[in-house]
Amino acid sequence: MNEKLLEVKDLVVQFRTDRGKVTAVNGVNFELYRGQTLGIVGESGSGKSVTALSVMRLIPNPPGEIARGEIFFRGQNLLHLPLDEMRRIRGNKIAMIFQEPMTSLNPVFTVGNQIEEVFALHQQEYSKAERRNQGIELLKMVGIPSPERRYLEYPHQMSGGMRQRVMIAMSLACRPDILIADEPSTALDVTIQAQILELMKKLQSDLGMAIIMITHDLGVVAETCDQVAVMYCGQMVEKANIKTVFSRPRHPYTKGLLESIPSYDSTKNKEKGRLPTIEGMVPSLFDLPTGCSFQDRCNFVTEDCRGRKGMPQLENLALGHEVSCFNPIVV
Amino acid sequence: MNIYVYVLRRILYVIPVLLGVCLIIFVLFNLVSPDPTLMLLGKHANLKQMQELRHELGLDRSYVVQYLDIVKSAFTFDFGRSWSTKQEIIEMIKNGAIPSLTVTFPAFLIALIISLVVSLFVAFYRGHFLDRAAVLVCVAMMSIPSLAYILFGQKILAYDLGFFEISGYEHGFPAFVPYVALPCIIWIVLSIGPDVRFYRTVILDEVYMDYVRTARAKGLNEKVILFKHILKNAMIPIITWVVIQIPFLILGALLLESFFGIPGLGGITLNAINSTDFPVVRAMTVLSAVAYIIFSVITDVLYTLVDPRVRLK
Repeated sequence: MNEKLLEVKDLVVQFRTDRGKVTAVNGVNFELYRGQTLGIVGESGSGKSVTALSVMRLIPNPPGEIARGEIFFRGQNLLHLPLDEMRRIRGNKIAMIFQEPMTSLNPVFTVGNQIEEVFALHQQEYSKAERRNQGIELLKMVGIPSPERRYLEYPHQMSGGMRQRVMIAMSLACRPDILIADEPSTALDVTIQAQILELMKKLQSDLGMAIIMITHDLGVVAETCDQVAVMYCGQMVEKANIKTVFSRPRHPYTKGLLESIPSYDSTKNKEKGRLPTIEGMVPSLFDLPTGCSFQDRCNFVTEDCRGRKGMPQLENLALGHEVSCFNPIVV
Repeated sequence: MNIYVYVLRRILYVIPVLLGVCLIIFVLFNLVSPDPTLMLLGKHANLKQMQELRHELGLDRSYVVQYLDIVKSAFTFDFGRSWSTKQEIIEMIKNGAIPSLTVTFPAFLIALIISLVVSLFVAFYRGHFLDRAAVLVCVAMMSIPSLAYILFGQKILAYDLGFFEISGYEHGFPAFVPYVALPCIIWIVLSIGPDVRFYRTVILDEVYMDYVRTARAKGLNEKVILFKHILKNAMIPIITWVVIQIPFLILGALLLESFFGIPGLGGITLNAINSTDFPVVRAMTVLSAVAYIIFSVITDVLYTLVDPRVRLK
């Protein structure tokens, strides 16, 4: 088995708000191995971005706070690191790209300047000329045409797809062990989306890094991931390899998500071509139901489920297939 | 677009603006305001005296000529002579500008530095106790009327404690220092409140931008993020705020000059208004308009240095 890069144990992240404390991430566990792509899927507010930001220790504090848990990066607990050592890991060993390519770059500095900043920070042995050459090399690597010219341009002179490529180039500057991609293709056109995902896959195999792909789009997961973790209301409800999740989902929420993917083949949909949805709304984090937080929307809910007080915990139902459900679907 | 083309175009825009401003000044002084000869001669003047005076003051010339006179003065700064003192107005302005600037320029510079430092400090510790305390002090300082500072300064600091001169002026450095120190300090105290609040808001507007999160994700420390990434973005509104204040420095501080007996441009303007000295008032109006236009062009040019996006527009 490949080297274990990341191990998150019992992560709890809370935010103080005017209406009291909310728990955005509630007891999340996962592992990440070199070369692997882990997809974290869920609706808005399910805690997937917060989980990712926690790994970088970028939760805005206040109001947010990592209340409990451990995050081991190659055996080292990131949550116990002094801040300046954590900064040496950010952008260097663990890098991150974001959903908003249009605003994620600083508008008043050239693209080259912003890339070189990473070298100046983490590769101090580079000379000025080396930084420049490496920067241009990165732009070339992410497929930006005429990189020498683009290097001197400002973000506003580029399209969204180009800017996301720049973000990827910047994040890969120090050949990180882990790349966290928070909805990297969501804000882009579909064709550009595919290009960006293709690029990430190619770079992953070239550089041998691990990727955490955060998305609400199961199509993206299907294209890029090896492992999938489905999140709902701050918890991971199902975790397995991609094949298992898509072919034999055992959590009703995962099943609902998969069924609500539009498909060209309408015979697949039972109700006269109507797209199945998950009924109801994601409950507010302020008043989650006691017990299973999915019970009010679940098609498989039983009296027994409703009666249970504690939250369902992830359990190994099959080898490498973990589900947190009182009444998992039988396959 | 080339930066020189941008600057040139911006300068060419000045011409129509200046012509328009001159037209407004002309209308205000010649058509809207009451007949100055009546005010100068008093109500017992007869028609002949009035006509003679009108001829003497050049008010019987055609409107076009009088308008062009104003336009010409905006370019040559030849404003003619004062009606009451018969002095060359440009000489009066030159003499008044130095006392005005000795008060306003150091005060402006010191206030700018203090407010920028304080607001960066406060933005760095945003949400912290220090931040809240600073905002509170700013609001308190803004809430006290300027007259209170002037009276307190003159009574306690100047009269009772003798730190400064109460009022008056002496030409030449360092003779003017004891006279201008107190009005300077009061100017600084008056501007720190609103300035810090403005700079703080502008800086905090940037703090929550996505590029700041990117900068953190790169591993930059908070100081570099604040001083490099955030400050350069915040410079755009700050430059506007700062540069647009400069014309008012040249025109002097009306209130402070009159309270402290400083023979600056503010004082000259007040006297001219009181004695119906139209050419002087008009000269000050033209001068402030020209200064304002020049500094707004400078602001626009400075933008291009700070914000690369401006050049394209």
